Amino acid sequence: MIALYRPGTSPLHRLPAGPKLIALMLLAIAITVFASNAWYIAGASALVVAGYFAAGFGPLEILRQLWTLRWIVAVTLITQVIFLPLPVAATNTGRVVTVVMLATLVTLTTRTSALLDAVERGLGPLRRIGVDPARVGLVMAMTITVVPVIAGYAASIRDAQRARGAKPRLRILVMPLLVMSLKHADELGDALVARGAE
Amino acid sequence: MTTPLPSIPASPDGTPPSRELAFEGVGVDLAGVTVLRDVTVTLPQRRIAVIGSNGSGKSTFARLLGGLVAPSRGRVAVHGHDLVAERKQVLRMVGSVFSNPDAQIIMPTVAEDVAFSLRRRGLTREEVARRVTATLERYGLAERADAPAHSLSGGQKQLLALSAVLITEPALIVADEPTALLDGRNSRLISALLLDEIPQQLVLVTHDLELAARCDVAVRFEDGRLFEVDDPAPVIARYRRDLG
Ligand SMILES: Nc1ncnc2c1ncn2[C@@H]1O[C@H](COP(=O)(O)OP(=O)(O)OP(=O)(O)O)[C@@H](O)[C@H]1O
Ligand SMILES: [Mg+2]
Repeated sequence: MIALYRPGTSPLHRLPAGPKLIALMLLAIAITVFASNAWYIAGASALVVAGYFAAGFGPLEILRQLWTLRWIVAVTLITQVIFLPLPVAATNTGRVVTVVMLATLVTLTTRTSALLDAVERGLGPLRRIGVDPARVGLVMAMTITVVPVIAGYAASIRDAQRARGAKPRLRILVMPLLVMSLKHADELGDALVARGAE
Repeated sequence: MTTPLPSIPASPDGTPPSRELAFEGVGVDLAGVTVLRDVTVTLPQRRIAVIGSNGSGKSTFARLLGGLVAPSRGRVAVHGHDLVAERKQVLRMVGSVFSNPDAQIIMPTVAEDVAFSLRRRGLTREEVARRVTATLERYGLAERADAPAHSLSGGQKQLLALSAVLITEPALIVADEPTALLDGRNSRLISALLLDEIPQQLVLVTHDLELAARCDVAVRFEDGRLFEVDDPAPVIARYRRDLG
């Protein structure tokens, strides 16, 4: 879900992280607030697709990123269809997908360290009310790092349970995953101290 | 491979800095239980193997040096610097490596993770980038610089963890079973690096007695006590006999 930086030399790659983040925020707000019908969504999607092309990513990459969103699409669509008419649910889902794809484009074209620097600089004024921007940045970076690790744990637990003939079910996945994640967090804490991030 | 000698702080009167680990009546209590007791030993050797049964206190000994647990009694000095009184400085002199490389990676990509070690060292961005590139090249990770750290193989991840430690040029490396999760080939790679290629003093906790045999001294723990300190051969021979 959280795509990582792909090195490149496109204009989007060269744009500094700060302006990119601000543009992302403004566009996300604009899409969320104003894209109230299918036409607006189509327009916004076209813009996002153009962005991918400008950054040097082909249709295949766009499809690959969309595929990683399939669960979000399913959950958003299904929960809304229960309460809303289908066209409205579809429009809402399209809006979410467009915004997430846009955010993905930013992470694909920006180094995590540059993003974090920008976030830290942006949060600088909050220092006065007791926020430590460096710490916020570190937590964000570690979240990005840890997501694939935890996903890997989940996959290995599922495999182990399958190998022992158990049908994979969410209920029996949660406990071992929690145990492994806590152990991981414990070890990661050690690494943080050992690497001087007290 | 030539690595510049780590910057070990010289003593004020100009005498060469010691490269000695000194323990004096050291004990560690964890959660009200004494897990390490009466450790008194001086270790000037470059490569120090730490062996002993499960739960004998090896990791606690390593964590002590890495600054992850504090001594409850006694004094520990790393190259002449007191572990408690000069904690900040000692932490900078010691680099720790653990078994699970996944749990040592903090930043999302390879280069960023190595660069993380140089934060708050007063280096310019260019200097950090230069050192990161040099380190990745030296340890064969340059091609993976922008890859997600998570996508590396187990051996490469451990190499990354080690690079992230070595880039800070510590004076002492503490490795707690660094090869436990690696296959034969990667295990040989990492142990060759630690035992033969780096100039730093090394504390190597291991159940691999062949590795222990290649060190300059072996320390054996049993039941939270220092059981024996000697040349590796006799210590290992007796440990093998005791294991039956
Ligand atoms: N945080 C803790 N709280 C309480 N007891 C602990 C803690 N950590 C370790 N111990 C206990 O301290 C003793 C020594 O543990 P240690 O991890 O140092 O052993 P070890 O020699 O590294 O063993 P192994 O070979 O299994 O890694 C064990 O009995 C262990 O249960
Ligand atoms: Mg241990």
